[in-house]
Amino acid sequence: MNHVITQPPLPTEHAKASLPPSKPARRRSSRKDRISPGGYVGRTVVWLLVAFNLFLLVWMAVTSLRDTRDIVRDPLGVPAVPYWENFANAWNTGGFGTAAINSVIATLVSSLLVVAISAPAAYVLAKSTRKISSSFTLLFVLGLGVPGQVLLVPVYIMMAKFQDISHLQMLNSVQGLIIVLVGLGIPFTVFLLAGFFRSLPVEIEEAAAIDGSSGLRTFVQIVLPLARSGLVTAFMLAVITGWNETLFSLVLLTTSENRTLPIALLAFLDQAQFNGADWGGLFAGIVMVVTPVLALFIWLGRRIVEGMTVGISK
Amino acid sequence: MATPALPLARGRNTGRPRASMSAIERSRRRLFWPMLLPALILMALFYLIPIIYAGWLSLNEWDGINEMTFIGADNYVRLAKDPVFIGSVINTLKILFIVGIVTFVFAFALTMILRDMMGKKFVRSVLFFPTLINAMVFGIFAGFLFSPSGPVNKLLLLVGVQDPPKWLAQDNLFNMIMIVMIWSATGYFTTIIMSAVDQIPAYYYEAAGLDGAGPWAKFRHVTLPLAWDVISVCAVLWTMSSVKVFELILVFGGSTAKAPPTSTWSTALYVYQAAFGTGGDREFGISAASAIVSLLLVTVLTIGLRRMLRRENIEI
Repeated sequence: MNHVITQPPLPTEHAKASLPPSKPARRRSSRKDRISPGGYVGRTVVWLLVAFNLFLLVWMAVTSLRDTRDIVRDPLGVPAVPYWENFANAWNTGGFGTAAINSVIATLVSSLLVVAISAPAAYVLAKSTRKISSSFTLLFVLGLGVPGQVLLVPVYIMMAKFQDISHLQMLNSVQGLIIVLVGLGIPFTVFLLAGFFRSLPVEIEEAAAIDGSSGLRTFVQIVLPLARSGLVTAFMLAVITGWNETLFSLVLLTTSENRTLPIALLAFLDQAQFNGADWGGLFAGIVMVVTPVLALFIWLGRRIVEGMTVGISK
Repeated sequence: MATPALPLARGRNTGRPRASMSAIERSRRRLFWPMLLPALILMALFYLIPIIYAGWLSLNEWDGINEMTFIGADNYVRLAKDPVFIGSVINTLKILFIVGIVTFVFAFALTMILRDMMGKKFVRSVLFFPTLINAMVFGIFAGFLFSPSGPVNKLLLLVGVQDPPKWLAQDNLFNMIMIVMIWSATGYFTTIIMSAVDQIPAYYYEAAGLDGAGPWAKFRHVTLPLAWDVISVCAVLWTMSSVKVFELILVFGGSTAKAPPTSTWSTALYVYQAAFGTGGDREFGISAASAIVSLLLVTVLTIGLRRMLRRENIEI
């Protein structure tokens, strides 16, 4: 089923008839090419780089299980016994516990909402033949290029004003952050999903219409399930963006009970200025920030990479 | 194909004057606004209105508490005279051009090396991964690894380097930041460029090889022209992300979490510091003005780059 989505049947729209139907033999088949000396150097460099990246991950994990004094004495050492207290300390006294819960809530809720709101919009933009729809598409694409800092102060003031009017807690609250994350995430999600919807074959909807299905039912019962892999990708990318968001969280969330993980990490760094660095706790916090993304990447890496690159190269 | 027959297939549509429009098309039209509107409203609330509002704020002086006073272009004049702001623009341009060009060269080199290498998918994934991590983490790592008595210097001592460079001294800080950026961005652009290069059919390379082209000539005359579209898109992508760089600089060196040395500021840092920084005063007007400048910067650079990189489309 995935193939229906990721590899649209070409003849419908893409009139690139010049493309031969069968894939040409892969370049790599000619492996008889000798590897030049330069090639060996290049490969060595690449593997060193890979080793370095993997080392960083392992080092991060190992160091998070070491006592701070040990870390300072020998930063590259391995603990005799894992020192789990780092995580307990970070979770309880370092504020990473509340922050982790806030991060999970803010990320999941905002990602679900942004996909739910973007999907219908992306669908009509992808399929509509109205003239105006292409200007709207352009509007969303332009939104992609707006740097976050341009919106920072106005959004902060608007949230403050909205809080005054509505008496709903918007500043310094997870719900406020969720609203901002949803709003900011719209352009990318619409852009990504419109690409997926465009690749869906039109015939399926026509068949549904012949069977008397209404437009909305076709969308919910036929198009959405078909676009499932696209929706999952959009959701995953929203999760990663939300999980890492720092600039707006830093401005919106000010007290410790409302912090998300990146902000807790910053606060922890700040404290280290006065109390001396608790490297063990810091690394435990870093592990909490990195591990969920690492797990997602190992689990759904192909989709994440495609979502972030394929739409672009088309 | 089946479209013209559709209105007949659905009994109640027969005899409608606009039989040319299919049933799907009509129901799609009905759904157009209801399905589009929520996203469009958010777009207005979080992009259009804030940008206009930022433009208005930039012409005012306001600390968020007292009355707002209209001061015309004074904020922009102040910015033009502020060495910290000029520095932040220069830093942003350095990120865009120096980091960008080095990253692209690395990405192409990696693409060429990985093309027929064992385990290229694995390598690509490992190099791609840093893109997904909050850059703050790398700032903290660097601060730890390169601290005066840190692991890097200890290793250097083992090799016999008695007097290692002062990695995190003010003068070197921004260069270190750029190196970390190159390291973390290369994987992402390698992945995009590789997917473009993979689309190039093998017989082009074979033909070039028969004509006596070496690796460089193949790269220059086959890979580069055929992957050009993707390269220009990548350049635009990089422009947009380079103007946003924030987290890495905020924590780099693991020093004060909230106010890194001004010599390392990017425009994003400047916007943040002017409005919410440790200085105490909230200068929303100045902050908005610097935000508008960074928006103009990204617009001009994007358009300029698109122009510069435009080229006739080559069909594979």
